[in-house]
Amino acid sequence: MNRLELRGIVKSFGGVRALKGVDAVIAAGRTLVLLGENGAGKSTLIKTLTGAVRPDEGEILIDGTPVVLRDPMHARALGITAVYQEPMIFPHLSVLENIFAGCEITDRFGRVQTEAMLRAVRPWLSSLDLAESLLHRPMADLGLGHQQLVLIAQALVQGARVIVFDEPTAILSRAETDRLVGIIHRLRDDGRAIVYITHRLEEVPRLGDHVTVLTDGRVTGDYAASEVTEDLLLRLMMGKRHDAGPEREAIRPSAAAGASSAPPVLSIRGLSHSRHFHDVDWDASGGRITGIYGLVGAGRSEVAMTVFGALRAASGRILLDGREIMPRSPAEAMALGIGYLPEDRKKQGIFAPMGLESNLTCTGLSRLSHGGWLLNFPAMLTETQAIMRRFAIKADTPGTAIGTLSGGNQQKGLFARWAGQTLRVLILDEPTRGIDLATKAEIHGFIRQLAQAGTAIVVITSDLAELMAVSQDVIVMRQGRVVDRFRGTAVTAERVLASAIGAATSSQEHAA
Amino acid sequence: MKSSALNLGPAAPALHGPRRVPVAWRALLARRETALLGVIVLVVTAVSLGAHGGFWTRVNLDGLMVTCAITAVPAAGMTLVILTGGIDASIGSMLGLVSAIGGLLFVAGWPVAAVVPVFLLAGAALGWINGLIILCGRVPPIVCTLGTLSIFRMGVFLMMGSEWITALPPGLTRFFVADHLGPLPGAAVIALVIMAALAAFLRVHRTGRRLFAIGNNEEAARLVGIPVRRLRWMTYTILGACVGLGALMRLGQSPIVQTTTGSGFELGVIAAVVLGGTELSGGRGGMFGTFLGTLVVGLVGDAIVLMHIQPFWSGVVLGSIILASVGLNEGRRARQVVS
Repeated sequence: MNRLELRGIVKSFGGVRALKGVDAVIAAGRTLVLLGENGAGKSTLIKTLTGAVRPDEGEILIDGTPVVLRDPMHARALGITAVYQEPMIFPHLSVLENIFAGCEITDRFGRVQTEAMLRAVRPWLSSLDLAESLLHRPMADLGLGHQQLVLIAQALVQGARVIVFDEPTAILSRAETDRLVGIIHRLRDDGRAIVYITHRLEEVPRLGDHVTVLTDGRVTGDYAASEVTEDLLLRLMMGKRHDAGPEREAIRPSAAAGASSAPPVLSIRGLSHSRHFHDVDWDASGGRITGIYGLVGAGRSEVAMTVFGALRAASGRILLDGREIMPRSPAEAMALGIGYLPEDRKKQGIFAPMGLESNLTCTGLSRLSHGGWLLNFPAMLTETQAIMRRFAIKADTPGTAIGTLSGGNQQKGLFARWAGQTLRVLILDEPTRGIDLATKAEIHGFIRQLAQAGTAIVVITSDLAELMAVSQDVIVMRQGRVVDRFRGTAVTAERVLASAIGAATSSQEHAA
Repeated sequence: MKSSALNLGPAAPALHGPRRVPVAWRALLARRETALLGVIVLVVTAVSLGAHGGFWTRVNLDGLMVTCAITAVPAAGMTLVILTGGIDASIGSMLGLVSAIGGLLFVAGWPVAAVVPVFLLAGAALGWINGLIILCGRVPPIVCTLGTLSIFRMGVFLMMGSEWITALPPGLTRFFVADHLGPLPGAAVIALVIMAALAAFLRVHRTGRRLFAIGNNEEAARLVGIPVRRLRWMTYTILGACVGLGALMRLGQSPIVQTTTGSGFELGVIAAVVLGGTELSGGRGGMFGTFLGTLVVGLVGDAIVLMHIQPFWSGVVLGSIILASVGLNEGRRARQVVS
């Protein structure tokens, strides 16, 4: 296969058109970067390529001959394979068995021939930087980066000519990313066609020979990778929303306004937990956004969950409007006017198979029921529709399962759960992780609106740019302790990062 | 382990571990099989001391081995089902129904050679029906087989009325219980052969490995082209045939069929498999564990009889062992994350 071509691909789910006529050319020995924000139709396009989804209109041509991809098996037989972001693996089978799952080498009695499989995979190991001793370990022992390599090995062993990577670096460390990029270059130079899907602009020049920008199910740009700039790509990706882009208008808004003199709404004093955090002090003022920065594992979420009654502190005090509280459950915390948006959308956030209606109203059911216990469905529906309009949540109907929406829309939904409540304190844990730029900017706008309405907002984030963009006060945590705090002063990103990684030594207060 | 596993490349040290020997020892000690052997030694010691020599008699050991064999054959089939993430709660009634069908044919004067295959085929057919409902009807296995548990039992009532069947050929008892190969009664020999065959099937045959794959990640298995539906269906059918054979062996041990025959049988079988370390969520486990699990279940029952403990305690003891073994699984998992 030398050339795979998509012509006028159209695909709708329900009433929503995910792809509105997409053309793309994928050629052997070339890397095509497919750039687009979440919800632009990238996932649907991959599924079309790998036979998991059949297009409503348009055709797929291999070397000029139209083909119909019946299912992923068929696409694979034709040499098209995808390596997904979260690897589809068999955790308790060996790496070798994972590579050969479904296409085991056997003798005529069906007995698996381990030696033959080893021989078949050996030539690929060095180009993937995989050690042969790994082949006999259970897949679950490998980190995500290695697991991706195993799946690439699987594709190669099966003779893949076109390999589709679906945002592979989203879960990888920097070193793993560099490694993967090197491997992708080798595969390309070896004559394979690479399709690389991403929403990270900075990856385009490193990876691509060619970049195609997808916006709202349409191709909005098609360039050689050498002739594009980040600005151009950003403009193309954001489409018509670009002009409104609130993210650019306000970097550290009203930081200059200085610390307010009013007493903080939420005060944490000397809060300690047996494992996760020690002697933590936080203050969050009404009408302001307090950013909590730190690396993963700094204990930020655990402090938040303690305030929200989901974890128990060993010692210390939590004060809400000056009154000491110690919520024993999230329900108690909510009754006190505390909200918490957890960091893991899938596991701690959404009720995936349930409709938007149930997902968006679950925090306000006592308000939306007759006498507090019989659900008022018309009121729930009205509220859901209002929320969907207010936060521009894209879905067919209020009953659409939230799990079927894009990550950005899911996150807006989770945010909306709390935005409609009357709260004293709202803690947002990684409110924009893994979502696209435009939605990110939208959510930042909503956060500011809430703060202006008087709620004390705490934003926990690992994204330095986000911290700098939204927060007025900053608290930095490292290894379970507060190591730095800035109230209403101009903070530099370098200073915050240095504290978080321990390059700055003493804990100190920087006041206006 | 976790952080080093995240490093890419051949330099990741923990993945190559130079400390091979101590790791191997620790792995051996942490293995469930080791723990089960410990339990077996413990029970045997206790019963040797507590039963006044009643344990190490020919009669008791033969009886114990036949009892174990009757559990072991269905447990071997159940291992395949549970490995794929399924379960079959209907096998008690299935055993009763197969016994009733076969017993009535014996009474009707059919020759033994003609009825023996009927046991296997009838069992396979009932298992096939479970598979049909689960895989074509998309009914969760536990729901389907709880349903067929009642339905098969109704079948027993319909076929037998209030009668008992006792006119069974003495050849069964002779073959399964009285005849020996070395120290092993016929039933035990057959059970060992079947377990060994299925163990080899699971270990080296493509289809056996695919059953593991299905239990690990059914969706991924489907996407790599493994015929998930057909293979899962096959496991229920094989289990049915195993239950048919178990029913035949049980008639050798106690030549009587009642309407209650086999009720509660599923518990011992599922207990043996779970005790053996095959995870109810699928994808992990194996036949050797089931073999040891069967021994534990059989030994506990035997000890209770020999030591004149009231029979309802056998349920308590078995239940406690199962709970402890699930705890063992949890502990094992927790250690893996830390190390």
